[in-house]
Amino acid sequence: MHVTMVKKRLRDGSDCRKCAQAADQLAARGLLDQIDEVVWAVEGDANSPGMLLGTRLGIENAPFFVVRDDAGGEEVYTSVMRLIKERLGNDVSARDEARSIDPDDIGGI
Amino acid sequence: MALDLQMLDSVAKEYEHKDPADIIRLAIKEYSPNLAISFSGAEDVVLVDIACKIGGKFRVFSLDTGRLHPETYEFLDRVRDHYKIPVEVFFPEPTAVEELVRAKGLYSFRRDGHKECCGIRKVEPLTRALKPLDAWVTGQRKDQSPGTRAEVPVVQNDPTFGSPDSPLVKFNPLANWTSKQVWDYIRQNGAPYNSLHDRGFVSIGCEPCTRPVGPGEHERAGRWWWEEATQKECGLHAGNLREAS
Repeated sequence: MHVTMVKKRLRDGSDCRKCAQAADQLAARGLLDQIDEVVWAVEGDANSPGMLLGTRLGIENAPFFVVRDDAGGEEVYTSVMRLIKERLGNDVSARDEARSIDPDDIGGI
Repeated sequence: MALDLQMLDSVAKEYEHKDPADIIRLAIKEYSPNLAISFSGAEDVVLVDIACKIGGKFRVFSLDTGRLHPETYEFLDRVRDHYKIPVEVFFPEPTAVEELVRAKGLYSFRRDGHKECCGIRKVEPLTRALKPLDAWVTGQRKDQSPGTRAEVPVVQNDPTFGSPDSPLVKFNPLANWTSKQVWDYIRQNGAPYNSLHDRGFVSIGCEPCTRPVGPGEHERAGRWWWEEATQKECGLHAGNLREAS
């Protein structure tokens, strides 16, 4: 399994807020070393690898995660909590999972 | 019956320019009775109107966060009476709300962002509402926000609430309609609507987190407006790039 985290780098060189929060949540659970690769979406650069990946996968916001399994399958996670629960083998409470989802990304509610 | 998940992208392409009624008809045909319309108490009443005219078995649910406008509560009951259908209302877990309010007060979202409060009041109840379903229908439209909804397909494998073990299909029949088309439909069909719309509210959510929008503003500008900078900050959409460059 190979886990790619796509983060957005702002013009001042810092990570966007949601990326920083997601990294903190991974770090708090000791899971940062399970992220095999970080791909950057660079603010203002539509051709940066993370921007291109986001466009290809139809993802609107950073961060997101691409998990490739050994058979070559690819799955995209826009929720760090869901990634943690389903692929990184950590328990996540329903409340934590719900808090990680932005209703504005869901629509219809 | 159910659509082949591997074929959803091609179904989305096939239905991209079809009438919302065709998309809802497909949803009912493939997923009834394990299908529900998510009704927010706003102009997505169009979905209910179309589905009721088509007929068949489907559910309609709404989320009562405890912070809705009085006008929205009245509208939910008007829809129930008008269409003679049950509107299933899901509530947040009381303990979770109590803990949040006890720890952070009633307006923590203004300081800490809306996700924590929405997680308790909206997302968790939504998760319960969706659990028994195979498919759901939402009123998402591309024109609601160039930043977050520009790529909404008419049908998709729900990336948030579905899973490989328990897939969930999400229909967005209004994805390609404009606000004008929605309102033309409401007026031409005499559908009921939330009276807040007459007072300049376009997108309607919880009372503290919803405001009327001005001329030329996108309707999502009326929601969580104090966090707009964060949305721009984390957005990958081309619109962000253009604004940033």
